[in-house]
Amino acid sequence: MPFVRSLSGLSHRTILSGFLLLFAAGLGFWSFVPSALAADPLTIYSGRSERLIKPVLDSFTANTGISVELLSSGTTELVNRLKAEGDRTPADLLITNDAGSLELARMAGLLYPLNMQEVEQAIPTQFRASDNAWIGLSGRFWVVVYNRTMVQPNQVKSLLDLADPKWKNKIAIPNSGSEYLQAGVSIIRATHGDEKTRQFLQGIKINADSQVYQKSSQIVDAVAKGQVALGIVNHYYVYRHLAVQPDAPIAVLIPDQQEGGMGAIMNVAGIGVVKSSKHLDSAKQLVEFLVAQAGQKLFADLDKEYPLRQDVKADPALVERNSFRAATIPLSKLAELREPTLVLIEQVGLR
Amino acid sequence: MTTFRHQLVSPLQLAALAGAGMILLPLGYVTAQALSADPAVWSRLWTTRIPELLFNTVSLAASVAVITLALGVSTAWLITRVEFPGRRLWEGSLVLPLAMPTYVLAYVYSYLLGFGGPVEYLWQLVAGPQSRIFSPHSYWGATLVMALDTFPFVYLLSRSALLSMNVSFEEVARVSGVSRSSTFWRVTLPLMRPSIAAGVALVILYVVSDFGAVSMLRYQTLTYAVFQQMTGRSDNTAASILSLLLVVLALIFLITERWFRQRSRFYQTGGRYRSPERRRYGWFGTSIVTGYLGLIVSAAFALPALLLIQWSVSPEAQATLDSRFFGFFWNSGTLAACAATGGVLIGLPIAYLANRRPTLLNLGCLQAAYAGYVLPGPVAALAVLVLFTKLAPVFYGSVVILIVAYVIHFLPAGLQSLEPALQHMSPNLEEAARTLGLGMRDTWRRVTLPLVRNGFILAWVLMFLQTMKELPATLLLRPVGFDTLAIRVWMEASEEYYQLAAPSALLIVLLSLPALALLVSKDWRAA
Amino acid sequence: MQRKDHDPVTSEHSTARTPSQGSAFQGNLFTPASPILELRHVSCAYDAGRPAIQEISFAAREGEILCLLGPSGCGKTTVLRAIAGFEPVRSGQIFLSGQLVSSPDVMTPTENRRVGMVFQEYALFPHLRVQDNIAFGLHNLPRSERFERVQEMLRLTGLKGFERRYPHELSGGQQQRVALARALAQNPVVLLLDEPFSNLDPDMAGRMRQEVHDLLRRTKTTTVLVTHDHDEAFAVADRVAVLNQGRLEQFDTPEMMYHMPATPFVADFVGQADFIPGTVSRGMVHTEIGEFPDTLQCFDGAAVVVMIRPDDIHLVPTEGARSRVLTRQFRGSENLYTIQLPSGQIVHSSESSTSVYKEGTAVELRVSATHTVVFLNDQLTTPLSSPDGI
Repeated sequence: MPFVRSLSGLSHRTILSGFLLLFAAGLGFWSFVPSALAADPLTIYSGRSERLIKPVLDSFTANTGISVELLSSGTTELVNRLKAEGDRTPADLLITNDAGSLELARMAGLLYPLNMQEVEQAIPTQFRASDNAWIGLSGRFWVVVYNRTMVQPNQVKSLLDLADPKWKNKIAIPNSGSEYLQAGVSIIRATHGDEKTRQFLQGIKINADSQVYQKSSQIVDAVAKGQVALGIVNHYYVYRHLAVQPDAPIAVLIPDQQEGGMGAIMNVAGIGVVKSSKHLDSAKQLVEFLVAQAGQKLFADLDKEYPLRQDVKADPALVERNSFRAATIPLSKLAELREPTLVLIEQVGLR
Repeated sequence: MTTFRHQLVSPLQLAALAGAGMILLPLGYVTAQALSADPAVWSRLWTTRIPELLFNTVSLAASVAVITLALGVSTAWLITRVEFPGRRLWEGSLVLPLAMPTYVLAYVYSYLLGFGGPVEYLWQLVAGPQSRIFSPHSYWGATLVMALDTFPFVYLLSRSALLSMNVSFEEVARVSGVSRSSTFWRVTLPLMRPSIAAGVALVILYVVSDFGAVSMLRYQTLTYAVFQQMTGRSDNTAASILSLLLVVLALIFLITERWFRQRSRFYQTGGRYRSPERRRYGWFGTSIVTGYLGLIVSAAFALPALLLIQWSVSPEAQATLDSRFFGFFWNSGTLAACAATGGVLIGLPIAYLANRRPTLLNLGCLQAAYAGYVLPGPVAALAVLVLFTKLAPVFYGSVVILIVAYVIHFLPAGLQSLEPALQHMSPNLEEAARTLGLGMRDTWRRVTLPLVRNGFILAWVLMFLQTMKELPATLLLRPVGFDTLAIRVWMEASEEYYQLAAPSALLIVLLSLPALALLVSKDWRAA
Repeated sequence: MQRKDHDPVTSEHSTARTPSQGSAFQGNLFTPASPILELRHVSCAYDAGRPAIQEISFAAREGEILCLLGPSGCGKTTVLRAIAGFEPVRSGQIFLSGQLVSSPDVMTPTENRRVGMVFQEYALFPHLRVQDNIAFGLHNLPRSERFERVQEMLRLTGLKGFERRYPHELSGGQQQRVALARALAQNPVVLLLDEPFSNLDPDMAGRMRQEVHDLLRRTKTTTVLVTHDHDEAFAVADRVAVLNQGRLEQFDTPEMMYHMPATPFVADFVGQADFIPGTVSRGMVHTEIGEFPDTLQCFDGAAVVVMIRPDDIHLVPTEGARSRVLTRQFRGSENLYTIQLPSGQIVHSSESSTSVYKEGTAVELRVSATHTVVFLNDQLTTPLSSPDGI
């Protein structure tokens, strides 16, 4: 043990006091790390993956000089965390990929209602909380991505078609912990009722088998490689993939557009200011930045989402927004639909 | 002369009690939460998740056990009973897989075995186009990765059993006219049984509590499910229930391992030691043995390590080596240093009292400290989380809570180095100091501490590196802006950005190597 | 710390006698001044049901070397540890220099007792050099005095030149000297030695025994030594305490111990002994090998045993004698014969190494005991399984 021997030259007292000092210093410094850090930069809890949100935030920092501290994790996990931290939370803002989670946070009294003209002008009311405690930033649709060499687009009309046994081992789905899967199932439940939803879930559970992914990008990847024929993802993952690999044999199919159909399942990524934030001005500045034309354009260009501001165009590669119909369930209902949805998912045993 | 009545509570005793309390309390809270849960939640879980999760967990553990058994015993036998060129090199390199965190090996294999990956390509050259190999994201994928990562446990224990076994037993069999191969089956293997069983139990414990590989390979085990419940649900009831099950399962294997380890001590005593005769193999035997060992070592370590290096030098990976990367490195380092220091400071009084004054209370404290063994990362995280939100919410979201989780989780590893150091040191040395006029405190300072220093350092290094590799508790409890190397590997690799994950992964592997050397050198000499 | 530090080597006002080897026998006829160490009815127990030692009482005078002798597990080490303050006493008292240090209510910590101890395994601090080991307990002395003291101890123990070595670089004998020097360096009130020679090979043990004895005499150190070897006890001790199953069987000079053992156990433990049954009649004990004075003054017809040591029996080969030589063990300086008497009773005889008789030789026995030791027959209980009665 050469390492131990070389240390033995030091006196034990030096080592011991070194340890103690290090430990005390470490504890002393870090036990109050949240408040220490909160002194200057904005702290953001983000349920969106770092890759999608960080470029936008960097651009905010470049524009305003306000630096940003980012904690990326699961959306539900972050809401849990906000609840647990209460007034002591270092977070100033919460960004999520799901309106239901934002609504739940609002109902738990975690968010601060904003009274900002900029917001009200920019974002249509159906994409905001009733009291503006959260504001949608960008829209996304739950679509079917398919491999053009394996599937004809007319083979699938509705999401529910994916439960058909003919797609056994040919579909990929997100895992049950993902909030947009939960939101999607909630909307299917609200539209078709529990029993039909249960059959749908059982069908895709069998068809997907082990093709259950944590990240939508992996689903798109699997479809592109031909590992599976179809996948359920948020639309922008497909376009982000195509932006890097234009030759990938994949395409987007917007489901449930048939006569009397449910309409495409829409969700929004949104933001809310945390009630106990000590940097209200900076936080508002960020919200303002994100709903402004420039900010919305970033979501459109970088992330391939549908901007919620009417005067900002989506990426031209995307399916024209006016060409399809969205489901009619209001986003704020996602919160109350959540718990029974989770029970159903668990009963079916989705992974 | 000062005289005193028997002191009931010394500061040392208080420290040990506080340490044990710190570890038991969270476990108690989780248990209480699980047991006080609405029976409806229990029955819902029993009818939905639990059967599948239990089946997955147990069947994964079983298949990994079988494979590690075969790999571990065969390699140990070759190394100890056969002489061939390069034997010593192989002897050491067979433990290298222990330096690979499971999530690193898992992510390398999800590339290697993945759809359209290199192995499939090669396979299609042989078996024709369209032919598929098994997916890494499956039962067999998880089995392969876990088995490659953990067989060195069985190898190490079998190896020391073979080395310390009295050769006379085998010679008696040969003298009685039993052939070489049936001597192995009828004498050698039965004598190794307790050691092998201890090794396999260790492997199972490891598999049951692993988070890294199963999360990367999306294989649903209890540990992974606890993590998913914690991150996907707004209350922790279901997570607590699954945790309790997991703890019970782990406890069963821990007790099994202990029991066999004690028996193995009994089996190996007696008789004078003579090192075994090694059979010499010719070029044919040598090439087969070398091929076999080469296959194992390259699958479990060399190939993944090379891939990591290749990815790390790619331009994409090089671009990530900025100040942020060194920030992650620094975070990992300071966190691990704090956890290791905390662990040693808490572990020392507990280990000391249990060894010097083995009262029921002190032994109880020691057993409590070993509870971390049966607390897989997500459970440890859940436990401190629940406790801190109830008792000291001030620390929620700070580093303290993370360090406490680390200490609980890795204290057993530290104690395993501290305890032998204390046992090694005769209590007479302390008594001699007392007869020379030193009080208790001075005796500690001038005799005990200097003498346990090496064990102390070893414990520190081991806990440091375990913490550095730790994934689930860090994911769940890290404060804002406190990503570590392990977190980066997981975040990048779980989106299949293999190149971007590689530098962090490689760094973790490289840092683990010296710790592995420390860990193994104990076993090496003991044998 | 009330006792004034003084150097036992140079202090002349010390009242200790310096008994020569020979005077020890009569030593206990003098009434001593106040003892340095005294145990009064001391009992210790690890668990309440089975006391490790019971009702142990003895005292040591200044400069005296006491030996605790007994088989392993008899509690002798417990006594030593109780004196050192490692074991609490359940009843009784221990006094050091007249001060109560241990009783059920009082427990002076070891470090305040001023006892020196040499452990069976020496317990040298492996991380310290010889000189630092010796200086370990001298932390209260100024640097120069400490140096002086260490030099003096090195000189006394013949360790000059080894002061910078580490313990593992020393031989067993040298390690023991360091342990001794370390214990003596701080002028202990009492020096405790726990089986000090058991880790040395027999040759080295013999030499060290002599050396240690001389050193202790020169420094006039009051010493308590624990051993299971009666030769060692006899060679070193002024007085010996024999312990058996936690009880003190006899406390006396070695000579008394050997010739006038108080119990059959002591008789057997401190040397080879045979116990010949006999019957009392008119003040004499009648046995198969002769008649002996009845020292117990028993009533006529009482069944007793007479203890005979092999060196008290002389063999005369005689045609037609009814006792036979069973075996001969050659021991270098003597021949030890096992003899079977006509009744089947076995006795032993020690003859000069040149008197060699074949097995089966018929012999007459001449018993020439200067004093007779008689025990009641029922005193002869289990511990006397006499394993070497071949």
